[in-house]
Amino acid sequence: MEVGFIGLGLMGRPMALNLMRAGHRVHVWSRRRESMQPLLDAGAGDCASAADVASRAEVVISIVADAPDVEEVALGPQGVADGARPGLVFIDMSTIAPAAAQSIAARLAERDIAMLDAPVSGGEVGAIGATLTIMVGGDAAAFERVKPLFDAMGRTVSLIGASGAGQVAKACNQILTGVGVAAVAEAMNFAHKSGVDAAKVREALLGGFAYSRILENHGQRMLERNFKPGFKAWMHQKDLRIVMEEAHRLGLALPSAAATAQMFNAMVGSGLGDDDSVAMLKLLERMSGSERGREGE
Amino acid sequence: MEVGFVGLGVMGLPMARHLQQAGHRLHLWARRPQSVAPFAGSDAVVHASPAALAAATDVTFTVVTASADVEQLALGVEGLIHGARPGWVHVDMSTIAPASARRIAAAFEACGAAMLDAPVSGGAQGAQDATLAIMVGGRADVLERLRPLLACLGRTIVHVGGSGAGQVAKACNQMIMVAAIEACAEAMHLANAHGVDLAAVRSALLGGSAASRVLEVMGERMVRRDFAAGIESRLHHKDFGILMDEAARLGAPLPIAAQVWQQLNALMAGGGGRDDTSALLRVLEAASRG
Repeated sequence: MEVGFIGLGLMGRPMALNLMRAGHRVHVWSRRRESMQPLLDAGAGDCASAADVASRAEVVISIVADAPDVEEVALGPQGVADGARPGLVFIDMSTIAPAAAQSIAARLAERDIAMLDAPVSGGEVGAIGATLTIMVGGDAAAFERVKPLFDAMGRTVSLIGASGAGQVAKACNQILTGVGVAAVAEAMNFAHKSGVDAAKVREALLGGFAYSRILENHGQRMLERNFKPGFKAWMHQKDLRIVMEEAHRLGLALPSAAATAQMFNAMVGSGLGDDDSVAMLKLLERMSGSERGREGE
Repeated sequence: MEVGFVGLGVMGLPMARHLQQAGHRLHLWARRPQSVAPFAGSDAVVHASPAALAAATDVTFTVVTASADVEQLALGVEGLIHGARPGWVHVDMSTIAPASARRIAAAFEACGAAMLDAPVSGGAQGAQDATLAIMVGGRADVLERLRPLLACLGRTIVHVGGSGAGQVAKACNQMIMVAAIEACAEAMHLANAHGVDLAAVRSALLGGSAASRVLEVMGERMVRRDFAAGIESRLHHKDFGILMDEAARLGAPLPIAAQVWQQLNALMAGGGGRDDTSALLRVLEAASRG
């Protein structure tokens, strides 16, 4: 297929490369030219704008930071809608509010462009290994048409429901991973403060009911004190902000997510925003006066 | 002075009356014509648009619900700004986002006029008795010029800082007050779970370190199970949406406020938006039923 790709960051770059490996022709554009270079080197088509990308493609994929960026790419001047050929499918794989996804989809529909919201889970590792979980909302026929592209980027691909449903699933994912990483950090800090070897605690718990992928992966990185992203804390903060705004709109009590969102606020406010979410451990250590690497090292 | 007023609701109506009684000529505009009915037969002048209202006045007060309402009123088509001129002042007494207040103030400054954000605390009773606490953001010289007008409405008038600072103070006010209402509801719920007389607990506590205005007023409503507003809880819910969003933007952790916000969400879900915020007690009761 002729595929346009916009948003060549930590996630987008390996995803686009995987599409090329699967035999699709990929056309790229980026506001920052240097982020296009690795794709151009691999043989991707060089485009001058999002509209230019759309004019050469049957499907355009975007994965950018936030709702205003998606709006700009899709509907802004020289955006996808300006260059789209009849029947174009626009897939947004960014994490944005369900209501924002629905609103953009509705405006694109007026211009005969089908939009799927298809946020992902699995991080940079999943993007490189083409093992992402992809949660899709939108029209079933459009989904079937572009399914081979999803299969080239991810392992678990699910059509959840109508427009916005993919973002709802992603919001649920962010509640679980956000609260999960906070719980693992609290447990690791608790073990250490109690004078117990946190590595042994983790190992023991992995065999029981507290097993989780977060305990396995994030727990390991906490033990190694490897706070390099991964998934930056400020992005998790942004995602939980979306969750909490939706909860406000719906009249929905999310007490655990609310507490966790405040922890992420504290991370961003105290300069940990560019670390991985596992740096939640550092925040807890500071709160309990025991940050390691400040004591000794 | 020629004084404009927009927003003749539970708060605005008595405030406008105080200004009129102090000898100022009122100029009014309302989206719904029946809102100005209480002033029929007085010398109040009703205008066809906010712009016309602004053009006829020296200062215009607004007390409406949301940031979007104030922005529309001030800067929208036929908005106040189209009748504003150097020296003219917009005093917004609504509770809105500090960022909105700053945006509106900048627009008025650009045309030589001025804007004060002056949200209030004290509720309908405070508005009727002219005993409101008024928290002001904006230029100090503008506030000093208008202080006699504000003194018709409230007892405590504090210049908190530049544009938006009044709204920041109001957000702090809401955080403390609603957290106190939740604490009061939890205390009442605990007493009730023990089968202890709530009225007696409240009276005892009012004499000690836990005494507060909230325990006095909202505690009384909880004891009598009188949840008719008061202050409609949906307004507190709205305020929490604004302040929690600002906190996320600033990277400021507010753990207690975040929990209180969730209780308010639950109250909205249970259909309690039009009840007084003391109905937070009902959220706890609903969660304790088997």
